[in-house]
Amino acid sequence: MELKEKLLKELCSCVVDMEDERVEDVAKEYIENNFDGYEGIKDGLAVGMEEAGRLYEEEEYYIPELLICSDAMYAGIDILKSNIKGDSAKEKYKAVVGVVEGDTHDIGKNLFKIMLETAGFEVYDLGRDVPSIEFINKAKEVGANLIGLSTLMTTTMENMEEVIELLKEQNIREDIIVMVGGGAISQSYANKIGADGYAREASKAAKLAKELVQNLKKLKSA
Amino acid sequence: MLTPKDRLHNILKGNKVDRPPCICPGGMMNMIIEDVMDITGVTWPSAHTNAQMMADLTEGVYENKGFENFGVPFCMTVEAEAMGAKVYMGTKVNEPRVIEYPIESVADYTKLQYINVNEGRAKVVLDAIKILKEKNKEVPIIANLTGPISLASSLMEPITFYKQLRKKPKEAHEFMEFVTKNLITFGRAQLEAGADVLTISDPSGTGELLGPKMFREFAVPYLNEIINSFKDIKDKGTIIHICGRLKSIYDELNTLNSDAISFDSITSATKVVENVTNKAIMGNISTFALENNTPEKLKNISNICLHNGVDILSPACGIGPRTKLENIQAIVETAKRYKK
Repeated sequence: MELKEKLLKELCSCVVDMEDERVEDVAKEYIENNFDGYEGIKDGLAVGMEEAGRLYEEEEYYIPELLICSDAMYAGIDILKSNIKGDSAKEKYKAVVGVVEGDTHDIGKNLFKIMLETAGFEVYDLGRDVPSIEFINKAKEVGANLIGLSTLMTTTMENMEEVIELLKEQNIREDIIVMVGGGAISQSYANKIGADGYAREASKAAKLAKELVQNLKKLKSA
Repeated sequence: MLTPKDRLHNILKGNKVDRPPCICPGGMMNMIIEDVMDITGVTWPSAHTNAQMMADLTEGVYENKGFENFGVPFCMTVEAEAMGAKVYMGTKVNEPRVIEYPIESVADYTKLQYINVNEGRAKVVLDAIKILKEKNKEVPIIANLTGPISLASSLMEPITFYKQLRKKPKEAHEFMEFVTKNLITFGRAQLEAGADVLTISDPSGTGELLGPKMFREFAVPYLNEIINSFKDIKDKGTIIHICGRLKSIYDELNTLNSDAISFDSITSATKVVENVTNKAIMGNISTFALENNTPEKLKNISNICLHNGVDILSPACGIGPRTKLENIQAIVETAKRYKK
């Protein structure tokens, strides 16, 4: 097997097998051989994270496992990004994510963020307990294609609607995809408040996010 | 006719009763709404730190034809605060929440304070129970504990906590043991103050988050350690509430030693009735439905829950404070009229 291919496979398996320490050595060896960092992320780490996501959907892995897999992915990215060549980093979509004000549960949001990144998004994470206006300000500042809102609690759901209202007030609702998710949220709630998308699983949500943003782009260029 | 207290007690002990009770325990399973704050003139956030107000508010729910129980406190931050977390008391319609964690790793648990039930909000809760007890009403007083996993993950960053369950299992168990000892102290104090029933809610310790293997290793033993430690206090009932989908952990639920199990609305009551055979089944009206539907629709939903075989009718989670009183009255009314 060619060395590059072998290392890509190892990057992938470090992520799947939660080897968040060994991944650094593999990533270093990959860079030392002057292989393209972007390919290492895309064809190595991200493949591993996708596999971890699949194991999660199949209920092989649960949250603790998934979190350690993502640690391994980030540890690898940190090293590989030093050798990203030329224009291999294509157009990136931008997303602003956060947990709405009043809630501090952020596991769902973190999973969504990880999956968005593996789907090729550049993600701005506002954290948890985020006032509605901050989503708007950040989205405007970075030119976001998508805002992702999360909450686990019934009591704070209304703040999602508030973010959508603020986008309307500022006349930028049409420019940004809004996705909502979290324990308390359902498809019918997403429809009710006029969000563009909802999915129960973070990995499915990220796929949907990409579709929605691509559709919006097509619509605008048409 | 049975009193609400006798009815709940009998159900929890597996005895036959005239009709199902309709309760909402308090704690993480908050039972307080804005409508009752307006009627009683007692509001959040003040009621979180004042025993008389806390008692008045929960009494207000029952007195206005709401749930057939008293239930304190109204959040899941009392224990974390007593152990060193910084808590923001919220607003009239937002519950208190932890805003600063006292430790960074499971190995740091020795830096935590041990709950002192004679001060702070732990004392407020005990005093509220004593006030309710003195009224000697026919209404069950339900005390509440935050579940061990949920408390542990309120004392440090939850993401780090979940990872360390796997990476530092030995220290994680020591931390869980410490957390459990604190919960036993506070739980016992609440029962001795006069509470009739104790509910333990563990929203962060679910099968969905942990998976069945870790649920068996890190949730079940500590929940049971708490429940077992109260066995010597006579005539008290216990309820455990677990969030999320339960389908991966039905077997484990049968190993919990509580008198009743309460669960989320995304889990089907029929399935739980089928699979959990050794305790009373409590649930599971969607709190979203409770806040957003009409009283008529809620009567239907309640009847479906009861037909599905729940022994105790209750919301599936803490209710939103903006929920209308008439909606709660509708589900209580349905339980009162229900005939098997």
